Amino acid sequence: MKFLNIEDEMDFFQKMFILRKEIENFLFEEGYMNIEPSIFEGYDEFTGVNSRIDKKSTVKLLDNNSEILILSPDITTGIVNKFMPRWEIGTKLKMFYYGKTYKHNGIGIKENREMGVEIIGEKNQNTDENILNTAITIISKYSDKYLIEIGNSKFLKGIMQACSFNKEDYENILDLLYLKNKQELKEYLSRLPYKEPMSTLVNIFDLEGSFDEILNQLEGLYLNDLMNEGIEELRNIDKYMKNVTDKVTYDLSLVSELSYYDGVIFRGYIDGSNKEIIKGGRYDSFTQQYGYKIPAIGFTVELDELIKVLYKEGQ
Amino acid sequence: MSLTIAIPKGRLGSQAIDMFKSSGIGESIDENSRKLVFKDEKLDITFLLLKNSDVITYVESGVADIGISGKDMIMENGSDIYELYKMNIGKCKLSVAGIKGRKIFKDDTIIKVATKFPETAKKYFSSKGQKIKIIKLNGSIELAPLLGLSDVIVDIVETGNTLVANGLEVFEDMYNINAMIISNRISYKFKRKEIKDIIEIIRKEDECYGKNN
Repeated sequence: MKFLNIEDEMDFFQKMFILRKEIENFLFEEGYMNIEPSIFEGYDEFTGVNSRIDKKSTVKLLDNNSEILILSPDITTGIVNKFMPRWEIGTKLKMFYYGKTYKHNGIGIKENREMGVEIIGEKNQNTDENILNTAITIISKYSDKYLIEIGNSKFLKGIMQACSFNKEDYENILDLLYLKNKQELKEYLSRLPYKEPMSTLVNIFDLEGSFDEILNQLEGLYLNDLMNEGIEELRNIDKYMKNVTDKVTYDLSLVSELSYYDGVIFRGYIDGSNKEIIKGGRYDSFTQQYGYKIPAIGFTVELDELIKVLYKEGQ
Repeated sequence: MSLTIAIPKGRLGSQAIDMFKSSGIGESIDENSRKLVFKDEKLDITFLLLKNSDVITYVESGVADIGISGKDMIMENGSDIYELYKMNIGKCKLSVAGIKGRKIFKDDTIIKVATKFPETAKKYFSSKGQKIKIIKLNGSIELAPLLGLSDVIVDIVETGNTLVANGLEVFEDMYNINAMIISNRISYKFKRKEIKDIIEIIRKEDECYGKNN
């Protein structure tokens, strides 16, 4: 048996370098500006925004004032925290970065290489389309067996707000949604006082597939303004996507580990890989903690996962 | 599109295989054979026969697209999978049991808990505010309190006969357990239709079983 030798390891690094450069060059040519993200975050600031993150998995550090810091598990949070305090109204940023995220994975600290794209301060019909197009251009360059999954957090938010669950029920219900556990969700809701929006909640797992299939399933279900807003946004995206690719699926029950998303969310998968290759979405309300709502959307490309797929396909 | 299904060996697996076979799927499966992989060539489905605690591992890693596993294993592993359908087979309870008549723990000492399910036990007792020390065992859990290795056990209880035969009793039921059809998260995206079709077929069989038992 032979284990990893220096030659193969160097070979891997060169492949990773080339992959990184390819994507960086593409993004640079598309007019995105490069930034270098910090690897530290404040623990409280991070977990305050991202309540669903597994706190045990964060890698903690102490600074010289005994403040707890973490090695960044998500770079977008750091970018918002970096720019928002000195944000000037009217600023538009279109940027990309290469960075690493850090998590305890039970055995040790897992470093994860990723490439990220963010557009902050601009929002029109084209912004969402541009970002989706950028994501699709990247993923389709590396495999034709890809799939883009799109959801909208406003839909679920609309139900959850109308049900006004307490914090414990809210978290438990999100967990069941994340697991797509329909029967236990139904049992859980049956123990709570009935509210009309729950009728849509128990049927939310049927709201997946093509956009037209979802529209059919929606008939007769409870909808409110926020939910309709989410659906209308998806309708516009679907119109655009129909001209771009047919490798698209929609899921209105999409729950993210990061809770700052506010609007369209999307993932990109490649058949044969066991993780998301692309993760992203709109996070306008994230900036609200700084006193103003700045439109923002972005995504990350999981380079470690992507390179595994490329190796498998023998490229 | 091809589908790979992980089935646990043992009683739960046999019941599941019966359901597949009576809907005309997986006729080549022979549980008495030493083979561990069976193919339904016509429907392009591969069946893997695995140790019950390994089903989740195969599904989570994407080697199998879907699998049948007990909720007890799912809770213990905390895996990143979809729990798509709760079946009427494999019904039992995860319970706290101990020596008959000794269920009162008044001082604030740490209770010693012998179990195959350390993570589930930790979570349950911590939600009750009870400090515990876990003693991880792999079998014959009932012996632990009898021989003074632990104060209580956390284990699967089906009929309670094994407990009674060893002079133990259930102190508290923790969770209801069922078999579940689980799915790999990425497989579900690419093979949603195939997976939903299989679940629909099994659901019909399973509901019949539920009515008759």
